Amino acid sequence: MIAAVVPITLGGLGSNTAAQSSANHPKRDSIANVKPFRSRKPAAPNVAGRSGQPGATPDQDPVADSLRRAGNGDHEAFGRFYDQTAAVVYGIVLKVIRNPSLAEEVTQEVFVELWRLAPRYDPTLGSPQAWSATIAHRRAVDRVRSEQAARTREERDAQHQAVPHDNVTEEVVIRLDHERVASALGQLTEIQREAVTLAYYGGHTYRHVAKLLDVSEGTVKTRIRDGLVRLRDLMEVNYD
Amino acid sequence: MTNDQHHLSGAYALDALTPEERRAYEAHYPTCELCLAEVNDYRETAAELAGAAAATPPPQLKTNVMAEIATTRQLLPTLAEPEVANLAKRRSRIRPALVMAVAAAVVAVLGTVAGLRLGQNQPSVDTLLAAPDAVVTNLEGDAGAVTIVWSPSSQQVAVVANNLPDPGPNQTYELWFVVGDGVVPAGLFIPESGTIAQVLEVTDVDAVGWGITIEPAEGSDQPTGDILYRGSI
Repeated sequence: MIAAVVPITLGGLGSNTAAQSSANHPKRDSIANVKPFRSRKPAAPNVAGRSGQPGATPDQDPVADSLRRAGNGDHEAFGRFYDQTAAVVYGIVLKVIRNPSLAEEVTQEVFVELWRLAPRYDPTLGSPQAWSATIAHRRAVDRVRSEQAARTREERDAQHQAVPHDNVTEEVVIRLDHERVASALGQLTEIQREAVTLAYYGGHTYRHVAKLLDVSEGTVKTRIRDGLVRLRDLMEVNYD
Repeated sequence: MTNDQHHLSGAYALDALTPEERRAYEAHYPTCELCLAEVNDYRETAAELAGAAAATPPPQLKTNVMAEIATTRQLLPTLAEPEVANLAKRRSRIRPALVMAVAAAVVAVLGTVAGLRLGQNQPSVDTLLAAPDAVVTNLEGDAGAVTIVWSPSSQQVAVVANNLPDPGPNQTYELWFVVGDGVVPAGLFIPESGTIAQVLEVTDVDAVGWGITIEPAEGSDQPTGDILYRGSI
């Protein structure tokens, strides 16, 4: 049974109706053990650093600059880093958790963790946007897989409450990114798109995604991988 | 390395593995050139998916974040990644019920001690207990229990107990980190009327356990007394 098809039109990304995760892993791993990663692009100015310019070097990227200074204990710089990344961090946390007050709480935890980890951020290993999004997504997923959060989500779904996601105050550039990603998602096969979005936006394990889509776990693993490869190529083409 | 693990790169990058699979994969992929490249790549792509979900956060959130980081100590930049992973493992072992029990014990002990000598510069055992990486260990010994609260990032250890025998004239208790190949001094403490709630400044040590001995008043570099209390982290 296909439990959810995540809409790909502009604005549709906010109305996630994916079935509930029954995953039951109340013990959270610390996000501190997120491994370093290497960037495909030294800094991805199109993700969260709205003021970043295409082609900017890491030194010129204002998000990387804020993070580097924050890593030296500069609270003011961390405030700028917050301004540069909060919409994406809060957005993905809210997307996965779907409860605004819990998402706010988790987002605060994420930023405190980013502050603690900032001295260890290595710009040669990945963009600040990927670093912060990775930590935020993991924290959100770990939280939502705890029993209590899962119950909260079920209650919310039972009440058919929509999360007020597409805020009118969002900047135009966010909507452009939204359209760009939606367009790329639209060019995936149906099963690739569902596997990627149920896993990433829905916070489901690939095993659970397999159940939701009624396909084998091996298929889901493969579709997630080739879906991500296709997305990367599509977005790179669109961006460059 | 099984061929199966290669296929987990995408699911890992999207946090779609179970905790057991995640741990296994994190032990594998940094050593596998193919997996490492894929994970790095997919994380950048995932960040773009996150960007498409961007939403305006509540205005008070920044105020709350800035207030919290004003009192939050950053991790040291020099720690290598495996140690970060170790910190995470230590932290995951803390059980909320135990933390609550220790917090209650700390409050009880502080209540007892406060009137004696801790009216000013109160060692913040409870602050240490609230540290994100606080590790609580109960040491067993013949004369009851001693609770150790350790925050590696804060480089502080708290010793809490309320029924310790007097160490004797010109002698002191000494706390030891148990490391892979021996012990490292962690600090000296002397209870008053059997009660102690003291924060010790310590260096960063990759400890696997604790030990407590009685030593000459100036302390020792290596234990000379029997290990009276011990416990594994």
